[in-house]
Amino acid sequence: MTILVNMVRSGQLPPAPAVGVFWWFIAPFALLTLVFGVWPIVLAVQTSFTASATALQPQAKWVGWANYAVLWSDPIFMSSMLRTLTYTSLAVVSTIVAALLYALLLQSVWIGRGRLFFKVAVFLPVVTPDIAGYVVWRWLYDQSFGAINTALDALGLPLFGGIASTSTVLGAVLVAELWHHVGFYVVIFWANLALCDKGQSEAAQIDGANAWQHFWHVLFPQLRPAILVNSVYALIQYLKTFTVVAVMTKGGPNESTNFVSYYAYQLFDQGRYGEATAMATVLFTLILLLAGLAMRLQGGGRRQ
Amino acid sequence: MTLKAAPLLLRVLAYCTAILVSFGCLYPFFWMLVSAFRTSKAILASPLRPWPESLSLSVLSELAEIGGTPLWVYAGNSVLITTASTVLGVLVTALGAYALVRRPDFWLFRAFRLGFLATIMYPYMLLVIPVYIVMYKIGLLGTYTGIVLFLAVGPIQFFLFEQFFQTMPKSVLEAAVVDGATEWQILFQVVLPMAMPVVATAAIITFLLNWSQWLPILVVSKSPATYTLPVALLNLNGELGVNFQGIMAMSVLTTLPVILFFLVAQRRVMSGMTAGAVKG
Repeated sequence: MTILVNMVRSGQLPPAPAVGVFWWFIAPFALLTLVFGVWPIVLAVQTSFTASATALQPQAKWVGWANYAVLWSDPIFMSSMLRTLTYTSLAVVSTIVAALLYALLLQSVWIGRGRLFFKVAVFLPVVTPDIAGYVVWRWLYDQSFGAINTALDALGLPLFGGIASTSTVLGAVLVAELWHHVGFYVVIFWANLALCDKGQSEAAQIDGANAWQHFWHVLFPQLRPAILVNSVYALIQYLKTFTVVAVMTKGGPNESTNFVSYYAYQLFDQGRYGEATAMATVLFTLILLLAGLAMRLQGGGRRQ
Repeated sequence: MTLKAAPLLLRVLAYCTAILVSFGCLYPFFWMLVSAFRTSKAILASPLRPWPESLSLSVLSELAEIGGTPLWVYAGNSVLITTASTVLGVLVTALGAYALVRRPDFWLFRAFRLGFLATIMYPYMLLVIPVYIVMYKIGLLGTYTGIVLFLAVGPIQFFLFEQFFQTMPKSVLEAAVVDGATEWQILFQVVLPMAMPVVATAAIITFLLNWSQWLPILVVSKSPATYTLPVALLNLNGELGVNFQGIMAMSVLTTLPVILFFLVAQRRVMSGMTAGAVKG
């Protein structure tokens, strides 16, 4: 999450005399990064240009862009990509808006006591193992065991299809993901709000600004860089949506949660390595482009 | 506006919203905990009952073995793998970040950094498959060593250290250099004592994050003998013939340690995890 902010930074410390001893310091880090990061990525990109049947053999057969061409004409991939982009946009907007509103509420003059409790409560799901969280949500939605439909029934409200119905499953998955992720952004915006210029807020108060005017003319301009950068973080995060699908829906019902990451993983499972790694490379490229965008936003929006 | 000047109605509304949101955040934990003590039959009869019929721990004997492997093996693996990868990860990442901050312009170091950034941006669920091939090639498949080494390096701890070293006062280092201290002396006698708080924060956060890991462990493992609690939970949840109470009890076992740990260290964890994203 903190990746991009730091990418643009360079060191501020005085340069040391020689590289010499720093080789010892960096060696283990460099080794782990090369062996478990760079090498697998190179392998994956390389595999995306080879025939699946020969991909794991020492003399893999080179097929050029064929795997990418297969993807291009695969209707499941195309609809999966579209679904991923739709879901991601929806998830990013809801995450940022919900987190910003909630952080504003918790930092407002209307909340005094209990601030820390509310903050801890919303952050607790963030540190909860995602598997456990999504397992519990999967069962909360259940038609016979679940608490949600029992409660709706008791209140005389219409039942919620949850993860069993194609029309509600995206919403159900989104709610579980928001539960897991929003707290992170609430705490970020909370900290950003605390860094906002108090003088400007006091001036607005003296001028008789109401809460909305205070937000729109005083706080929002100061928060804009943070909102932009965090939107890009959230975008990158939701593009990779995987665990929630693996635990709750397995891509279903009827493909309606079959996002790109999950589809690629399924292809791996079926031994279609070439297409799977091609898909991974497409997703990776998309993320790199977004990261580049984030860096530009960060560079342009930095205020210090 | 001061607190007293805020209209009562708005304050009541604000508190109602905050309480409602907190309830939504916490209810899944509460339901999980209560359900862990109730038989599947009892839950089917009334899923909303806010307290268990009895506080019996009998479910633990049912869970004593999951998929032919004893529960204590999973719990032991969780503790072992998480602790080892945390200790190794903090050490390796701190030293690496330190070297990168001290010599940011050396082209090879810059290349290492780019390689690291590419790694953390690669969709991790798709990275584990080529990692599987790498583990196979270097003979670490199915070993604790393989799992621990893979989990050791992560983004949040790296940026925590990098940010700390970048904001360290220059004068302290300059003074040490002028005094003729060697780089090893500077590291152990000047930098390390200053870095202890951030080491602690990074260690706690790494522990929490690695405890939750599951996909790399599932992929690198050859058998359930090296599974951790989250992986065992995933297996249990995927089994045919639902043992609902067992699943909830297993979720509690997976969640409880990190929650307690987080509550003890909540300030450090919340500020540490979001540090890089805030001080842009």
